[in-house]
Amino acid sequence: MQKTPNLLLVFGSLLFALLCQLFPWTGQGIVFRPDFMLVVLLYWLLRAPYLCNVGAAWLVGALVDLGAGSLLGQHALAFTLTAYVALSFQRRLVLFSETQVLAFTFSLLVLAKFTVLILKLLSGNEMPTWHYFWPAVTGILFWLVIKFILGAIAYPKSTEAN
Amino acid sequence: MLKGVHQKLEHQQTPAFFVHGFSVLSRMVFFCALSIILMAVDAKLNYLSQIRQAFIGGLHPIERAANIPGELIRDSKKYFASHNQLVQENYILKQQAFENSVNLQRLNTLQAENEHLRSLLGGDIPIHPRAVLANISHTGRDPFRNVVIVNRGSQHNIQAGQAVVDAKGVLGQVTRVYPFSSEVTMITDKSLSIPVQVERNQLRAIAFGQSGNTLDIPYLPTNVDIEIGDKLVTSGLDGIYPAGLAVATVTKIDQDPETQFAKIISTPTAKVSHHLQLLILELPEYREAEKKPPSKETNKEEAKPDAKNS
Repeated sequence: MQKTPNLLLVFGSLLFALLCQLFPWTGQGIVFRPDFMLVVLLYWLLRAPYLCNVGAAWLVGALVDLGAGSLLGQHALAFTLTAYVALSFQRRLVLFSETQVLAFTFSLLVLAKFTVLILKLLSGNEMPTWHYFWPAVTGILFWLVIKFILGAIAYPKSTEAN
Repeated sequence: MLKGVHQKLEHQQTPAFFVHGFSVLSRMVFFCALSIILMAVDAKLNYLSQIRQAFIGGLHPIERAANIPGELIRDSKKYFASHNQLVQENYILKQQAFENSVNLQRLNTLQAENEHLRSLLGGDIPIHPRAVLANISHTGRDPFRNVVIVNRGSQHNIQAGQAVVDAKGVLGQVTRVYPFSSEVTMITDKSLSIPVQVERNQLRAIAFGQSGNTLDIPYLPTNVDIEIGDKLVTSGLDGIYPAGLAVATVTKIDQDPETQFAKIISTPTAKVSHHLQLLILELPEYREAEKKPPSKETNKEEAKPDAKNS
């Protein structure tokens, strides 16, 4: 591994995710919109925790809150908790198989959604339909795309070996 | 010898992998506390609205950039609209304009007559608000709220609280204003309520937004005179929505004699989720301030009889 990912790549990809997040979605497709920022954040949390830590997760969450116009701190808190769980299992990921890592990431996405749901319910919102959890499913598909693209940029040798 | 080994060990660089600074747990606790404080401040105090405005204003160029692909697709669709479609649309619009012109002629005379009668009776003459056309740039990103973002903001003199309508009726209200955009909350959002009256018998009520694109009218007694198909219009009592705008049609009534209140559900007349354009109406105070600039004296005069009465 000669060319390690640098901060520029981390923040560049997060900025790209912000752009995707801000992309104007209208109509029925909005139900399936993945949480772009969370997926990219989780990728870096699991691949390069020395560059992207709980603080970055909080910042990303706050940006999502500002962009969505929701109560400031809701996504920040959810992402911080998710980042904590992700980081506490991060060292063990080496032992996991591909599918196990995928399942782990999926459960992290669901955890983030669930935390936001609890915070929203506490602040007086109505219980949404089960469509609310679609972004976790589409998020895992987006994760595969991100893994392929960012993996090719940040770890060119290891992906060639694969 | 031991000393030498120690020195060697100390000079060895620890891999970046193990350098953490603060532990993950302590960071998590710190940032969680920070988020909770932020939430409390945002919910209870108004300090953060300026930060939000500045952020959204700064984000405007990025948002515009993100908008480009969608706009291109929309424009090219327009460009390739078939000739038949355009002819048909033109025909419908001409017909509508003709029908409207007949109504408009009557409206002018009726309005003049109404104002004359009102002045004879000593009533206030209703003000007809001016409207600003706005385009919806996208729906809100928070799945819990029923909002849209429009492309007019504080730079275009939009203020929070202005009423928003479409051709069919009331759509909602401007709730947050950013420099180049503003957030319109739909009448079907849970946080919005609107004073209405039944067109048939002038019964006053308040309609609350409900999930599933409907409005709920609570607090009316079980034996209330209301029927399915009754039209609800704004009563104008709040001073935000001008009186007489169509709001909703009653679609379901549940008059259970066991309970104290009737359960009345209505659907909005405005097409809440099928729009690209809407009208933002001027606030009443804004209009009054514009009409009579030396308002200090008139205010004093008005205040005196009030004081006597109380």
